[in-house]
Amino acid sequence: MQVYKLCLKIIKKNIPVMLIYIFIYLSVSIVVTLSSSRQNNTGNDFTDTKANIAFISGEETPLIEGLRKELGRQANFINLPDKKEAQQDALFFREVVYILRIPEGFTQKFMAGEEVHLEKNSVPDSAKAAYIDLAVDQYLNTARFFLSTMGDVTQESLVKYLDDVLSQEADVKLMPAPAKTDVYGLVFSYNYMAYSLSSILVLGMAAIMAAFNNRDLRNRVSCSPVRETAANLQIFLASLTFAGVAWLTQIAFCFFFDIENVLTMNTVYLLLNSLVFTVCGTAMGFLIGSVVKGNEAISAVTNVVVLGSCFICGVFVPAQLLGETTLRIASFTPTYWFVKANNQAAQLTQFDLSSVRLVLSDTAVIVCFALAFFALSLVIRKVRRFS
Amino acid sequence: MVVKVSNLVKRYGDLIALDHLSFSIKEGEIFGLLGPNGSGKTTAINCILALLKYDKGEIEVFGEPMTPESYHIKQDIGIVMQNVAVYNELTVYENIDYFCGLYIKDKALKKKYVEEAIEFVDLGEYRNFRPKKLSGGLLRRLNIACGIAHKPKLIILDEPTVAVDPQSRNRILEGIKELNSNGATVIYTSHYMEEVEQICSRIMIIDKGKAIATGTKEELKAMISLGEKITVESYDVSEQQLARLRELPNIVSVEYNEPLIVIKSSKGKNNLENVLEFIKKENIQFGKIYSELPTLNDVFLEITGKELRD
Repeated sequence: MQVYKLCLKIIKKNIPVMLIYIFIYLSVSIVVTLSSSRQNNTGNDFTDTKANIAFISGEETPLIEGLRKELGRQANFINLPDKKEAQQDALFFREVVYILRIPEGFTQKFMAGEEVHLEKNSVPDSAKAAYIDLAVDQYLNTARFFLSTMGDVTQESLVKYLDDVLSQEADVKLMPAPAKTDVYGLVFSYNYMAYSLSSILVLGMAAIMAAFNNRDLRNRVSCSPVRETAANLQIFLASLTFAGVAWLTQIAFCFFFDIENVLTMNTVYLLLNSLVFTVCGTAMGFLIGSVVKGNEAISAVTNVVVLGSCFICGVFVPAQLLGETTLRIASFTPTYWFVKANNQAAQLTQFDLSSVRLVLSDTAVIVCFALAFFALSLVIRKVRRFS
Repeated sequence: MVVKVSNLVKRYGDLIALDHLSFSIKEGEIFGLLGPNGSGKTTAINCILALLKYDKGEIEVFGEPMTPESYHIKQDIGIVMQNVAVYNELTVYENIDYFCGLYIKDKALKKKYVEEAIEFVDLGEYRNFRPKKLSGGLLRRLNIACGIAHKPKLIILDEPTVAVDPQSRNRILEGIKELNSNGATVIYTSHYMEEVEQICSRIMIIDKGKAIATGTKEELKAMISLGEKITVESYDVSEQQLARLRELPNIVSVEYNEPLIVIKSSKGKNNLENVLEFIKKENIQFGKIYSELPTLNDVFLEITGKELRD
């Protein structure tokens, strides 16, 4: 396993350069994760709030008292004088968002099934006011329903029935994942792998290939009793080891930055996607190492290819902010499909075949890129050997 | 025979790199392949090592046909390439260890051989240096160590002293003689005739892919008419005196490029004595006078009509 060990030694010598990419990855991920978590916390920490309303009634009856009690679940009552000017001021200065005024004789007419009117004033376009309005309508509509179905019923009984019905609540559990609307922040640590992991893979693979593409060294090894197939197999195994370790390291960092979602199905698809992208990055490194000679040239090409594709594919900047032409050009790189698949995988809420098909089709495109890079490298190597 | 090459022909398009080249190398020899740059030395070596396909001919190593799949033969061959072939990512020790490990599987034995190779090329104090930090001479020594660490029976050195300082060159040549005295057969290619003359037991002179002469250095020198070259430094010699000098017995040619008179004579006795007597008789003032026996360059010159370094 001399060739295998040699490959690992060559990679080992390049670790200091690779660490730069890991450092950049960690720094950027920490910054993004912190800012992302701050944004996400505001969305997830749901608490009930109550609207400030004024409840002015021209009569005191059990029905009106029941309505007041019901609204009390959603509103804080603010006392206002029964003057139009004072009420308008309160609305204008947002002391209250809603003013309900019940005219005298309302209960009697209501119980008799006659047409009734309520005076409502609210802050324009206020969501809170709309909710209060809905609550008022719901209370009175339900009461009317009881009256029409039960016939002769006292106000006290009606209020009791209404209280029983309206106090029932459905259990609502807030799921953290769907609540996260900032997909960019969620998958950033995975998307950013397109930069750090590709750079590491391309550097490592290119260093191996550059060493083995050196004509003198190749001839020197050909003079030894090591079979060419055995040497190639050892190079392949070393590449596999290197790619696997690089992937696992990156994944460990991703888990660290997104610990909440480690055990979700979304993560499974993100992992699958990143694994395929690792294979693609390895093939890209194989290609660059076959074409480019010299460590300096390899570093330069790596920066141009990897950094360039990351810029236009939505790794550093969300794809939504990029122009259509840019994205069209980006679609000729595997990074674009990797980022796209990641974004889709992060937004999955159902995992049936039709839901995951889009993610898998993008991942399949990355596989095609990997095969193309690998095939192209083999052709170049063959042409060179015969020349 | 350790190596037997018969009627080897190698073409690069219209260029004939090797033209029916034949030679054989016996066990224990230091066989020199001497020829100017582009004469076909490296091509011949690459064919022997099965690195190049050839158009015609046969090559046998250790009595068996040499093919790219002759791994058991390759096991006993050590190669020192013309260009330094080492990994810049590895240290001196790691490079020797890697190349030795391609041949030797036993770890303890490999370690012993690597240490011996480092000691042999005297790179002990540079063992943890990367190749880029080594001078040209040290790099060449590392290249040699990588080629011979596994103690091969046949060592092929393809111009190992190119661009090496005289001190390192002498060290390398002494090392090759030591390897040979330890039992290795050596093929040594060079365009430096002094080196080949110094270490090779048998020499083949090659030009334009053809073997033009083969033998020991004495046999090669015996092939030519030149027996002695006498050089006289003088500022005071006339054309008439030079003409009379040419008439002396055994004199082949006399050339005067002030201040040196170069007198070439065929094999014969008293050539230097005759010239000295002539100078005394003619009362020619001279600074120094010396005689040289023919070199391989003279052999090459007489056979091909051109200098070895042309």
